[in-house]
Amino acid sequence: MHELLLFASVPHHQHHELRQQLAGLTAMQPRHRLERRLIFKAYRKPGVITTRVGASQNVQGVDLQRLNKMLNGGMFYTQVVGPVLHENFAAAGVTRGEGGDDPDAAMSGIDESQKDSFSNSSYDYESQSWKLEFRDIPEAGTRSAVTARLMASAGLPKGDIIEPMNAWGYGFVTEYVVEGDIFILNDIVIFLHRVLQYPSESADPHVPRRQLPPFEQMTPLDKSGSYVLQAAITVQDGGNQETMRTASQHLFGLREQLRSAVRLEQADRLSLDTRAK
Amino acid sequence: MSSDDHGDSSTATDSFTIPLRPLIEKRDRPDTLPVEIAQINAQWGTFRGVNEDQLRAKIQEEKDKEGLEDEEEEGEKPAGEVDSAERLEQLYKRRAEITQFALQAQMETMFALDFVSLLLSKHAPRQAETSMSAFLRKAVPLGSLNSEIVNPPPKPESAAQDAKAVSRGWRLQSFDSAANKLLKSASRLETEVASETRYWSEVLAVKDKGWKVCRLPRERQALGVQYGFLEATPIFRDRGLASLRRADDGSLILDKGLVPSKSRRVRVRVKVNDRVTGCSKSTSSTADGEESIETRILQARDTVYEEELFHELVREARIMGSQGVTTRQNLIRFAVSEEQEIMLDLADTDLESSSEDTDVIDSHEDDVLADAIAHSTRILLCYAHRQNLRRRTQPPPPLSQKRRHTPEYQLLRPILAYLQHHSHVQWLESFIKDMYGVLKTAGVECDHTANLFLPVNPQRKNHSLPKVEALVQGFLVPLESTVSGSLITPQSPFRVRIRTSLVTPPFGTNYDISMTMPQHPGIQPPARVGLRDEAAAILTHFMMLDVVSAVSSYRPQPGADGHLTWQAAYPHHGELLTVSPTTGEHKKKMKVTLARGEMTLHVSHVRAADGTSTRSQTWKADPIAPQQPGLMEFVADVSME
Repeated sequence: MHELLLFASVPHHQHHELRQQLAGLTAMQPRHRLERRLIFKAYRKPGVITTRVGASQNVQGVDLQRLNKMLNGGMFYTQVVGPVLHENFAAAGVTRGEGGDDPDAAMSGIDESQKDSFSNSSYDYESQSWKLEFRDIPEAGTRSAVTARLMASAGLPKGDIIEPMNAWGYGFVTEYVVEGDIFILNDIVIFLHRVLQYPSESADPHVPRRQLPPFEQMTPLDKSGSYVLQAAITVQDGGNQETMRTASQHLFGLREQLRSAVRLEQADRLSLDTRAK
Repeated sequence: MSSDDHGDSSTATDSFTIPLRPLIEKRDRPDTLPVEIAQINAQWGTFRGVNEDQLRAKIQEEKDKEGLEDEEEEGEKPAGEVDSAERLEQLYKRRAEITQFALQAQMETMFALDFVSLLLSKHAPRQAETSMSAFLRKAVPLGSLNSEIVNPPPKPESAAQDAKAVSRGWRLQSFDSAANKLLKSASRLETEVASETRYWSEVLAVKDKGWKVCRLPRERQALGVQYGFLEATPIFRDRGLASLRRADDGSLILDKGLVPSKSRRVRVRVKVNDRVTGCSKSTSSTADGEESIETRILQARDTVYEEELFHELVREARIMGSQGVTTRQNLIRFAVSEEQEIMLDLADTDLESSSEDTDVIDSHEDDVLADAIAHSTRILLCYAHRQNLRRRTQPPPPLSQKRRHTPEYQLLRPILAYLQHHSHVQWLESFIKDMYGVLKTAGVECDHTANLFLPVNPQRKNHSLPKVEALVQGFLVPLESTVSGSLITPQSPFRVRIRTSLVTPPFGTNYDISMTMPQHPGIQPPARVGLRDEAAAILTHFMMLDVVSAVSSYRPQPGADGHLTWQAAYPHHGELLTVSPTTGEHKKKMKVTLARGEMTLHVSHVRAADGTSTRSQTWKADPIAPQQPGLMEFVADVSME
């Protein structure tokens, strides 16, 4: 699968307004989203032979081949993404500020994050679901003004993820939290988000946290509090020029619609480099 | 508006007007043809009256006239020839005169030109030189003539007075008309402001009612109101926007563009044996005459909803052809049972109330049913909209070349399934009631219970759904009812499960009959019976078997002598034979016949060749029948040797 992207930077003071504008544009309530993101780095295990196995390659399906190539070919950083809820963060003993769930989203009754909101406020690391997200470095030399990159996602076992990831040859690097709202406009997924960092005094940096700190202690990576607006379309077959063109046309259409609010543009290719040196 | 303006305006009309519109120029050549035609018409009469004879006569007349003139000229000629010399002389003289005049005129203009040129050469020598004659240029140096303004002689007092009076009059008139102009435009502005205020206050009132007011996407300077449904099919979603225009007096006009402003709704009619026995009521009863903008918006919204509803109904009806749903251009028709038929069409609301005679509604007994169906379709469309919203706000699948097909909404299918199920359940209940009635009159104690419209998978309920959606969802799953009962033999209960589903296979209604028969362990009813008659036959057969086994299990009371017992000889034909406890030979034959509402037991001698029964007893499910002996009493009676 391919992913076509446009990005924009949204200053903090514009965030609320843009959120409302996007809600109007997409005619939906924002879907609030909190994600734990763990970064893993591939390393070559001593003794693992990465040469081709030969004839058995032909037997494998195209997808499997591609996945093998992805896993064994180059060395990449990958992300493991796990959705969390506000309730999973430790109670801080203070009133919840703007981090509270959006009342509109709750009213619409669509937001599925509402379920088990009353179960318990503590975080159960063992039942945390994970998804592996692989993103290639954006394609070079494309003439179109969107960022296009190869992508793949796969579900992972729940709970402690370090062990299976280690077995696949990935080492844990660091983790962070992404907080934001998702809007959907036809095929485009608009994600207005910011990156939050864990408080620095938290323990052991070599494994993912088993408990989450109070949400109020999370600090934005960008100190000015600005958000990132990301508009993405996934395309099933990146080799198909026509669908790729349609997808970028859709993105350009969105860019035109949002022109007076934000400037959506292509990202710098090297800043999205996921290759492990 | 100063006084020196009136010099200019004196050329125009007496009133002082500012031309706001461009002057309409007259065409320099008026179209002569119409004029000529009019002239001909006036002179000769219409073209219709023209015929050949007339024309010939006319031509002849012309010719004759010309001939006459020629003759006249010929007659004059000799006189002219007499003094031709004199005429010629006169002609020359005249020509010379004309030439002289022309020359003189040219000379004078040349003089005038020279004079003016010389006068101007003082100020603009280069320009003046070009228009000067060569002689003048040579003879007189440039700029030698000058002009000066001299004080005019004082006008007489009366003339000055006159001019003053005239100019004052002019001024007064101008002031007057200017004042009129200003007053007129002031009042025009006032009405404009009033109507504008009215327009905006009405727009605000619309907005305060909660309607979404926005700029039109195509016409940025106009306002629009959105009343449509965001989750509708795109064509109907886009129709849910109308512009709010301003009438001359400032009232709002709801401009829906090309869409006709008729209000329409989906009408449901129930037909029983070709008689219309029910019609759904019109929900919106807007008062005629003074319609507020609010009601018009509401009506537009309802119409767009109803039209979408009908569109979706037709779309769904087309895929339901296999289930007996037929569509015409503006009609959907399906049969619920053999005599009952439901018809749905899109009718004009105003038309319907006025001309009821076109579709005669014979009675109103099924109005409730028609209303229920009408409401159900609307609720289901609303549910489909909610589902659309849910689908739309989920992360979309990756873009591919396959077009995503929007599935038909479930509007008719749940209703049809419900009605079908209901009719089947009713039939089964009445059938079982009849059978039990027979058994009851025969003095058999038995009972049955019915569990109607059970939820199929109650544990599968999704709790995160809002209550409304969960409520509707119960309607969309396959419907199931069970009727269970006990019979004469206490070990043989039976259970009939009716399941109707029009969404997931197996389609239609199925009867699932399960029974346990200790006497006939090998007998199993066929699974999944689709037809009523078959189900009835199976149940009747089963009950007959039960009666047979009940009779065969009859044992005389201990101590009573000479009693026979019965043995099921051909249970599937309902035939039993007696077994004599002493000799063991067959003496009597009993035949059980069971039908809906009737049970008969025939007892005859085995030897009777013609099979004429010696005794028989019939029980009917008739409560007013006279007291009859019970089944077992009869059996005991005939069991006597």
